[in-house]
Amino acid sequence: MKNAITLNNVNVHLGGEWILRNLSFNVAFGEFMGIIGPNGAGKTTLLRVLLGMIQPQDGTVKVGGKNIKSAGSSLIGYVPQSRQIDPETPIQGRDFVSFGLPHKYRPWLTKQDRILVEEVLRLTDSEKYADKPLGKLSGGERQRLFLAQALLRDPRVLLLDEPTSNLDPGAQENLAAVVQRVNQERGISVVFVSHDVNLISKYAHQILYLTREKYVKGTVEDVMQPEVLTKLYGVPVEVMRSGAKFLMSSPNLMEPVTPICVHPHPEVS
Amino acid sequence: MFQYDFMQHAFVAGTVVAIMCGVIGVYVIARGVSFIAHMFSEIGFAGASFAMYMGWNPINGLLLFTTTSALAIGQLGTKVFRRDLSINVIISIFLGFGLLFLSLSTKNASNAFSILFGSVLSISTQQVWEVLGLSIGVLILLLIGFKMLTFDSFDPVGAEAAGLPVRVISITFLLILSIAVVGAVQIVGALLVFTLMTTPAAAARHLSQKVSRMILFSVLLAVIGLWLGLVIGYYTNLPVSFFITAIQGIFYFAALGWRNYHERIRIKESLDETSTKRAAS
Repeated sequence: MKNAITLNNVNVHLGGEWILRNLSFNVAFGEFMGIIGPNGAGKTTLLRVLLGMIQPQDGTVKVGGKNIKSAGSSLIGYVPQSRQIDPETPIQGRDFVSFGLPHKYRPWLTKQDRILVEEVLRLTDSEKYADKPLGKLSGGERQRLFLAQALLRDPRVLLLDEPTSNLDPGAQENLAAVVQRVNQERGISVVFVSHDVNLISKYAHQILYLTREKYVKGTVEDVMQPEVLTKLYGVPVEVMRSGAKFLMSSPNLMEPVTPICVHPHPEVS
Repeated sequence: MFQYDFMQHAFVAGTVVAIMCGVIGVYVIARGVSFIAHMFSEIGFAGASFAMYMGWNPINGLLLFTTTSALAIGQLGTKVFRRDLSINVIISIFLGFGLLFLSLSTKNASNAFSILFGSVLSISTQQVWEVLGLSIGVLILLLIGFKMLTFDSFDPVGAEAAGLPVRVISITFLLILSIAVVGAVQIVGALLVFTLMTTPAAAARHLSQKVSRMILFSVLLAVIGLWLGLVIGYYTNLPVSFFITAIQGIFYFAALGWRNYHERIRIKESLDETSTKRAAS
């Protein structure tokens, strides 16, 4: 079976330095992959490579079995990292989502378009506030609308670049659960970048830990091992396991070696 | 009033330009390029003066200068020109050139006055056709690009993420804007382009949360303001541009007041609802 994403020995050189070195991994159709790593590790660069916005110096990138040579593949839905919304933005959520409809020139919406918009609003649990202006919504509500907009193109692969940053823990859980629902209901492969390893480990099938020097890839069970994480983070790390759930904490949080933000769990701290 | 050719010309040309400005103004505000629109009008003034000096039709000079500067800005990126300082320097330089060309040309000062403050009551049949051609061309281009332009203007990050050609859209929009400014200069003059280009759209932002309705309100306010300005100007024999700017200003502050009033009502309803729930529990 073809993979949704195949990276083979990808090397990316930007701004006078190597950002990605010999990176290889696959993401199967319907798989949920979490990517973690410190700031500047190349996580966003990796997503832009997958989108065709950055061409690697070496290596091959395939999405849905096809080589990615230019941006704009309809196979991919992307929720970018930085999307500052002016609180004065008067556009209502439903209108904002409909911007993502795949047609390019038709100035009006058909009945089919409206059905599609309602469908993605339902899938992302955003119908309740879709009539409110974007500027009046909370960060979590906006992120779900951004996700809904990306889903309008009916992608086979969904790339999310730190969608939970700046969200409170409740909103983070809600958003991750919505992404999981999209992954399960539509069979869309998900690549979810986050700093929160505990959140990722709860939802992802496999994890890619990325730094400029090295990367580790494996199932959640493979990566969520104290010795693996201690080596990656550079500080002693403990992992608690409860059934299929993992919880990472470090007793040495005051001296973080890598800039990863690890939130201590209330039950642990 | 309508028995006079000059009033017929003013109403026909003015209405089409108002519709065009009402539509494009929504995007000018959404993209944050209103000062670039203003800069185009000042550059256009220099272009029109240059055309007079060369003995050309002023509209050709306007188009030459504004479209060339649109391409230059498109190449450099609009972010550079959002800085006050860059815009101030460019406006000063081109106003200076405008003055130079005017003093070198043999035309009288009334031409300069009409470029700066508009001459809607003295436009010829030929000018009406020119303005109609420009405005309808701009509207057709906006209609063709509506979907992509709307996405890129209101959600540039999302548009880039969806693979839209954002750079092409940006340069094309600046070109369309530069042509639209030429049309607006004919009606309200270079110094008052803001009046039709951004004020109705700014008011419409307070009246609707949907892009299509925002455009509709913006067009309605621009057209109604222009008609009222023409009628009052005709009967009072005072400058039409003054009345158009004053009426658009009233529309803007009325829309702002309407938005604030509704916001207060919404907050009050929300507070009432909360206290009712608290009392019930």
